[in-house]
Amino acid sequence: MSSDAEGAGARHESTGDKAEPLLAFADALLAEAGREHSDVPGDVRQFVTFILHDREYGIPILQCREIVRVSAITRVPEAPAHVRGVVNLRGHIVPAVDTRSCLGLGSVPTTARSRLIVVEVAGRQFALIVDRVKRILRVAMSAIEPVTEGAAPSGATGVARVGDGVIHLMDAARVLREGESAVGSNARGKEA
Amino acid sequence: MEEIFSSLAKDFVDETQPLTQEVGALLLKLEEVWRAGGNGKSLLRGVRGGLHTIKGNAAMMGLSDIERVAHALEDVCPKVSDEPPRDPGGLVQLLIEGCDLLGALVKSAASGDGETGRADAFVARAAAAEVSLREAKAPSNGGEVAQETGAANASVAAAVEGNDRRGSARIADEDVDELLELAGETIVGQTELLRMHGRFARGQFEVGDVASMDRLLVDLGRTTRHLRDRLLRVRLAPIATLFGRFGRYVRDLARERGQAIELAIEGGDTAVDRAIISRLYEPLVHIVRNAVAHGIESADERQAAGKPAGARILLSARMREGRVDVRIADDGRGLDLLAIAAKADAQGIDTSDFSEREMQRLIFRAGFSTAKEVTNLAGRGVGLDVVAGAVQGLGGSIDVRSTRGQGTVFVLDLPVTVSLQKALIFGVDSETFAVPTGFILDTIEIQEKDLQEINRVLLASWRGDFVRGIDAGRLLGCQGLAQAWARPYAIILHAGNNRGALLVDWLSGVQEIVVKPLDDMFAACRMMGGATILAQGRVVPILDCMEVARRISKALMPERAVEEKAEAGYHVF
Repeated sequence: MSSDAEGAGARHESTGDKAEPLLAFADALLAEAGREHSDVPGDVRQFVTFILHDREYGIPILQCREIVRVSAITRVPEAPAHVRGVVNLRGHIVPAVDTRSCLGLGSVPTTARSRLIVVEVAGRQFALIVDRVKRILRVAMSAIEPVTEGAAPSGATGVARVGDGVIHLMDAARVLREGESAVGSNARGKEA
Repeated sequence: MEEIFSSLAKDFVDETQPLTQEVGALLLKLEEVWRAGGNGKSLLRGVRGGLHTIKGNAAMMGLSDIERVAHALEDVCPKVSDEPPRDPGGLVQLLIEGCDLLGALVKSAASGDGETGRADAFVARAAAAEVSLREAKAPSNGGEVAQETGAANASVAAAVEGNDRRGSARIADEDVDELLELAGETIVGQTELLRMHGRFARGQFEVGDVASMDRLLVDLGRTTRHLRDRLLRVRLAPIATLFGRFGRYVRDLARERGQAIELAIEGGDTAVDRAIISRLYEPLVHIVRNAVAHGIESADERQAAGKPAGARILLSARMREGRVDVRIADDGRGLDLLAIAAKADAQGIDTSDFSEREMQRLIFRAGFSTAKEVTNLAGRGVGLDVVAGAVQGLGGSIDVRSTRGQGTVFVLDLPVTVSLQKALIFGVDSETFAVPTGFILDTIEIQEKDLQEINRVLLASWRGDFVRGIDAGRLLGCQGLAQAWARPYAIILHAGNNRGALLVDWLSGVQEIVVKPLDDMFAACRMMGGATILAQGRVVPILDCMEVARRISKALMPERAVEEKAEAGYHVF
């Protein structure tokens, strides 16, 4: 019967994207990515993209565990400026990182469209607060351009062009490191 | 070296002697209150806090006579949660004598004259008194001892007394022997360290000291770890003791409905902390009741759907990656997503872009019972939100998976053991925090007249004395405009050598919490000792009282506040 239970879960994940829009699709893709990455041809990379200050960014889907709505964020006294606090993720206490301030974009309050992208990097779980989640992007390795100095935010690992838009491809761990180097973010603040 | 020791000893006497007097005075008041039929909780808390500090101070100085006497006094002193003694006379007399003895021992600490004989005699008397006290209490609350004490010997004693009541455990004789042996080894190690410490304090060093200390510490470390592991095993019990209670329950539910429901159990031998087992019963009852009331279709409905008329509920447990995976599955109709959507709509939640999983998880929100009719099975005013809160409060998590027409599975992910700590929940501005009760001397209502500011130091009057205070909102950086003067409550903290008043907006009850560490991102948050999840899933930071008390002892009122007060027409001195 417990195998039924797992069967039930799996069935749901394959039917979930039938009519549901993005989140269900993301859910299913995340589950798929977690199970077997071999589905995806070797030279195609998948990214979850999100919007910050009207610009589109992406992080590798393999770093993402889940996308959730923003629930109550508990502030932690004396926490660094780029960490908004902690959230309860079904019993796990997970730091909520202010992605905007990590990238020197200026912190804003969350809205109904804000989402938490829960990522896991090197066994460490944290949530990136983003203005909204945009899409799941499949992009061929060959189509990813290197970062040109000054044109992309620091922390970017590459650039993808889709139509006439530019998507900055990020790495979750580097986003966090950008936030941690407060000196860096101050310097950016002055430049801007 | 000699000089350093004597100056340390002087500090010790200066600090500890007033404490012994204070404890003595509190004891006299306590006797009055008890005789008048009161419970004297805050006085008792003061006494216990004082004794604990004396013991700690003495242990740091290696003054084992004082430490032993203080420890013996702590043992005989009733717990704050205990009923007041019916005949306090003898007990208070014993406590006061012990306190006097402490005073005498502390005084002689500076000169180095030991009075081991008197200390031994008192410890023996106290031990005898404690046994008779415990025997007198045993029928009513002997089991409570097991929950309250962490000390190995006390839990063993309670466990030996043990019976089947909640909070007590049975231990096999050989386990007790092994635990006692381990405890003995730690004492031998500690005695050896004390001896070396005494020698070092006198400036006497020998060749090979470092090597033998290394060896001692390694041995002691291994023994204490072993002791802890063995004690943890004592706390484990097979989860079948919990699952087994559902056989009768499900049968009764089935009879009420006039329908066969089979209860299957898998993995009953999975070992789980008794503390978790006892707190898991209520949540499981709720989930099982829900399964029967909402999940399982009538016999006709089931047969029409091609299912056997008899329903099935499965309780299963298994170890997975060092945690326990508990599942409650039924083969009923599954979650009704349309009903959930309607309910969400009624509550004003926009579910248009929710995934199926998100929809299912909505049932853990407050007020999400979707029963079509209120039966005596469901609708008792407890929602799955409370179940989720209880599970999270144990350091676990809960999830649900459901397939329409095939059934629903609740998946609980739990730790094998929990360390529950008692904490007071308080609020300041719009935020909530927890303080471990071990550091709280007292909680009081406070008014503006009880506070004064002298040379930018805020002082709160407490029991005829003054303690330094700080506005919790300012200390913790809350975004509120209220100031120290406006807070109605004060928490008197005592940690290390510091004591201080934390001025707050509201106090809620003391409750048991599971302490969870914070991520390294919060390493700079020295005042935070972790976080916990309260019922309703709220995350609450836990204060590190050592750091908070240290900050209070150094806190100055902001200069600005003086100006504001001057502007407001106050006298500034």
